[in-house]
Amino acid sequence: MGCCYSSENETPSQDPDESKPLIPHPNPVSKPPNGTDWITTSVPSARTDEQALLTSILTKTAQNIIDVSAADSVMMEQHEYMDKARQYSTKLAVLSTSLPQKKALALPSLTSQPHQVLASDLVPYSDVQQVGKIAAYAYSAISQIKVDAKEDLVVQFAIP
Amino acid sequence: MTTAALTAGLERIPDQLGYLVISEDGVLASAGELENDEHTAGVMMQMVRTASRFRLPGSADPPFKRMSVILEDFVYTVTVSGQKVFVVKRHNNQHEPISV
Repeated sequence: MGCCYSSENETPSQDPDESKPLIPHPNPVSKPPNGTDWITTSVPSARTDEQALLTSILTKTAQNIIDVSAADSVMMEQHEYMDKARQYSTKLAVLSTSLPQKKALALPSLTSQPHQVLASDLVPYSDVQQVGKIAAYAYSAISQIKVDAKEDLVVQFAIP
Repeated sequence: MTTAALTAGLERIPDQLGYLVISEDGVLASAGELENDEHTAGVMMQMVRTASRFRLPGSADPPFKRMSVILEDFVYTVTVSGQKVFVVKRHNNQHEPISV
């Protein structure tokens, strides 16, 4: 079976580390169970493609994993930690004096003629009624939004 | 603008029952039913601050000139001009039309 060779031929430029499967296959050139006569010439290449795809997915996943336990190995000495803390607080103190105190949002100017605006006719009753109706519809619509759970949120990957 | 100039126009508003002129620091002027009404002043200040944070897409200014707080018998009309909040309590003479 040319399965093994074709695999090497198809990925000649790949980094050996990259193509190395994370989980070693128990028997890389294992034949399908005996008595199966579905092996045609097209099957080995399809199978190889599948394996190459799986390997690339595994490699990508491995690259995206952040190993938290490995971070523990970079231990910081107590005095280093204190030095850093002091450095940051000094920096903050310098910045906070130069920054203006953030005031409560300044009032916007809505009009330059407040008296006219306030003395103009009141909002017609029908408008108020319509707005009330729209708000009631919106409230009703929002209250009917719900999650329809159809499948498990967390699934197990079938890793051998 | 002096306080008298600020309030002169407010006195002439039809159906007004009282008014408040509020700045960031507190009430500048008050009269009628709103005389020394610090509580209403605080509530109106918060409401107008909240309302003025709303923006329509593509617009930098608040999309309104006046805020109306409509109750059964009276209406609070509120606007902001020159860093001052003006609140006028007006009689609500509009009532639910009688449906025949």
